[in-house]
Amino acid sequence: MSDFTRVASTSDLPDPGTMLVELEDRIVVLVHVDGQYYCLDDVCTHDGGPLADGSLEGCELICPRHGARFDVKTGEPLSMPATEATGVHEVRVDGEELFVRIVET
Amino acid sequence: MIESTKQAGFTGAEFDQFLGSRDEPDWLLRRRREAWDRFEQLPWPSRRDEEWIRTDIRLFKLDRFSLPLGSEFPGEPGDALLSEGVELAGQSVSLNSQCSHRVLSESLESQGVLFGSISQLVQDHDELVRELLSRCQSHSESDRFTALNDACWSGGHLLYVPRGVAIEEPIHLHSVLSDGGVDLAQTMIVLEEGASATVLAEMNSQGEGEAGLHCGSLEMMLGAGANLRYVNLQNWSDATWHFARHNARLGQDASLQWTSAAMGSRLSKVNQHVMLDGKGANCQVNGVLFTEGKQHLSYHTLQHHTAPGCRSDFLYKSALQDRSRTVWRGMIKVDPAGQQTDGYQRNDNLLLSDQARADSIPGLEIEADDVRCTHGSTTSQVDEELIFYANCRGLARGEAVRLIVSGFFQQIFDRITVPSVRDALAEAIARRVREFE
Amino acid sequence: MATDTNTPRPEETLGEINKYDFQTKTDAVFKAEKGLSRDIVKQISSMKEEPQWMRDFRLKSLEIFESKPMPSWGGDIGINFQDIYYYLKPTNEQGRSWDDVPEEIKETFEKLGIPQAEREYLSGVKAQFESEVIYGSLKEDLAKQGVLFTDTDTAIKEHPELVEEYFATIIPPDDNKFAALNSAVWSGGSFIYVPPGVKIEFPLQAYFRINAENMGQFERTLIIVDEGAEVHYVEGCTAPMYSSESLHSAVVEIVCKKGSRCRYTTIQNWANNIYNLVTKRAMAYRDATMEWIDGNLGSQLTMKYPAVYMMEPGARGEILSIAFSGKGQHQDAGAKLVHAAPHTTGQIISKSISKNGGRSSYRGLVRVEKGAHGSRSNVVCDALILDEESRSDTYPYIEIAEQNVSIGHEASVSRIGEEQLFYLTSRGLTEAEASTMIVNGFIEPLVKELPMEYAVELNRLIQLQMEGSVG
Repeated sequence: MSDFTRVASTSDLPDPGTMLVELEDRIVVLVHVDGQYYCLDDVCTHDGGPLADGSLEGCELICPRHGARFDVKTGEPLSMPATEATGVHEVRVDGEELFVRIVET
Repeated sequence: MIESTKQAGFTGAEFDQFLGSRDEPDWLLRRRREAWDRFEQLPWPSRRDEEWIRTDIRLFKLDRFSLPLGSEFPGEPGDALLSEGVELAGQSVSLNSQCSHRVLSESLESQGVLFGSISQLVQDHDELVRELLSRCQSHSESDRFTALNDACWSGGHLLYVPRGVAIEEPIHLHSVLSDGGVDLAQTMIVLEEGASATVLAEMNSQGEGEAGLHCGSLEMMLGAGANLRYVNLQNWSDATWHFARHNARLGQDASLQWTSAAMGSRLSKVNQHVMLDGKGANCQVNGVLFTEGKQHLSYHTLQHHTAPGCRSDFLYKSALQDRSRTVWRGMIKVDPAGQQTDGYQRNDNLLLSDQARADSIPGLEIEADDVRCTHGSTTSQVDEELIFYANCRGLARGEAVRLIVSGFFQQIFDRITVPSVRDALAEAIARRVREFE
Repeated sequence: MATDTNTPRPEETLGEINKYDFQTKTDAVFKAEKGLSRDIVKQISSMKEEPQWMRDFRLKSLEIFESKPMPSWGGDIGINFQDIYYYLKPTNEQGRSWDDVPEEIKETFEKLGIPQAEREYLSGVKAQFESEVIYGSLKEDLAKQGVLFTDTDTAIKEHPELVEEYFATIIPPDDNKFAALNSAVWSGGSFIYVPPGVKIEFPLQAYFRINAENMGQFERTLIIVDEGAEVHYVEGCTAPMYSSESLHSAVVEIVCKKGSRCRYTTIQNWANNIYNLVTKRAMAYRDATMEWIDGNLGSQLTMKYPAVYMMEPGARGEILSIAFSGKGQHQDAGAKLVHAAPHTTGQIISKSISKNGGRSSYRGLVRVEKGAHGSRSNVVCDALILDEESRSDTYPYIEIAEQNVSIGHEASVSRIGEEQLFYLTSRGLTEAEASTMIVNGFIEPLVKELPMEYAVELNRLIQLQMEGSVG
């Protein structure tokens, strides 16, 4: 299991809001909604392209290219044309700082 | 540690300094300058480009590397697999884009064979080098990487074989990268009419986890009736970024056997284009991709038949371990003039883990009717029965898988006509087979 | 009232099917203005007296359509979106008289052996079949079994819960630009619901839906096959189809529930001025089978890739596609199979023919998602190029993310073999006859799956096409 890495300050990410984070060997999307933080792979499983510039509607992240919706808590696809879940990772808040731990599935 | 006076990145100031350090004719310096201007204007390829949609390079940071401005190479280059036990006609070693060692048999020198780095050879053969550079294929898919290479190439090799000269023993090209090292080779292999040669090229990193950058180009030009066997073994560390364009142009009745084995790199994006440009030309490509960890290898091949009666046969075999990923895109393109084309393309994939992913995109664009063009792609799994059989004979699972993998690649080995290469490849592959439980 | 007149162009070769616009006099009750706007979309919705949710859906879809770029791949889509009528409510009198139909077209009908009543219907002379008696009783029979078969406009009003549950869930408007367009301006199309266990023995045909415009520009079809049910639906015909509007963009959504079977057959032979851009997708659940039979003969440009998403174990998808491109035509057709569950199987067979400068492209996808172990799929694409002006392309995409699978793909491009031709001509056939026989043999896997009258018509059509090709 990898360690937690500091990725941002809480002030960087409003509620609701999304933010692209580049780690050493991975790019992820941080999501802040309903007072909670979530982290997903920056990959839409439908076409393999990025998810970060999609819009956030409640707890759903919507891919800008073909409208596939993903549950930010579980990464599960909620609409066509996506049929596969995208990866989710752990987020921890420590004071004013946000930490992410990558979960390999 | 590397001693140098380098600043980080590929800045304009660095490029000026680089240009100033080159002892090259003005026309060549101008050519570099024009390419640099293109480099500065172009953006990095975006995920929206069809070529790059499956290959994410956002984590590639050019500013972690610098132009090779002449530094000491730390330590030894390490083992060369392809030259082991082989008698060579010539050899050239390039460390972090600096040519450190070059030798060619005297009899070949006397027959007019040219061999060495382009920067060196241009001193005495200005016109010839200029002419050859102008014949390099212009690329409609020219991008920021090719512009970078066109501006900043150093190291690399030129092999020029005059009319009718046959080089019996192989010529060996060896490129090595140290940690943070950069290889910007521009390699040209030119065989005039009726010439023949065998070239073995390999590239590796000094150590396992060392991050290097290779942004290179290869041009092969075969005159009428020329015959070339070219072998490339890419064995960089798993942390190295590898961007390359490889082009070959074949004249009438020319023949090219091209073996391309890729096992290293963190991410590879390679364009391999062969143009069959003279009646009766013939090209056979044997591709091996064997990946592990989180590697991502993307190969884009093109068999372009512009002349009639040519034959091209591309076979790519990929075996994937762990969470690695391969993308193979191949196209057979036949122009209206390409009548009596015999075009064949095949990609076979063996997934050795359920986290791996193989994308296979063969393609055909045919504008002549009297042709025979086929392509095929298969993806399959390890045959558990074979594992069981091997277990019964006392082999552990890891050894059994190693056997299966080498069995998978056997079809490629059978097509390679240089015996030492077959052995070297088999060895390289065996070393990388993951131990399975 | 607008009257469109186009001078017919002379035929070029004997027997060659040359399709072109001809005089139309339309006495439409309502014709929206040209072009696309929020107002027009609202008008369409009001004319149909739709519920609020559908109206909102259309308007949202229009926004999506406007925000999406044109596809950068496929054929050349030279459409001026503002120069098209998006809604035309026809009357019973289409105003086209049989006398206006060009001789060559009448000859084609003659050669294809199509009954007179059908001819009049197909050439827009009559808005509906006169043989209402025959089809009327068929409808009664279906209704007794609980089968719902009507047009989509009616379905929204009469079966709203069913429609709302599935509509646009398989192909959301964001999916692609033309799905968005259809979602905004759709009209007509079939709605079919087959209750559990009901197996409909005869094929349901598009022209059984007597009470709505058929062969419309923006049809929207929704088929729901409940558990264990079976249905075969057929649309289109081999005779050349004319339309005053040059953009046709349909959407077909199909749900095959556990253990069900659905076959959807299309034979498309649109006139050569038409852009035919279609999105067709089926979801197959546990042990369900979905079959697409797709015949593309006409249109200036067709872009169509029938898809099967296999969502649960045991699901199966089969796609049989044939494309014939003649002069000035581009068929960019194909198929998609997505294995999203373990132990799913699929098959794609594509046959394409290009002649007289036509261009046939196969574009397809086989995707095996992580976890879909035990999946098997095979794709075979064969292309015939009949002369050196023509072109054939193959663009298959294969994405495999699971190890225990078996996926194969092969494609080949060639022309009619010299040896085959020689064998047949040496037995007394002319070169044209021999070529026709070979081409018919080439497409035989598809033809044998068609209802008989289609098979007969298709064979005759190929014969006609081939007669024009060997000079």
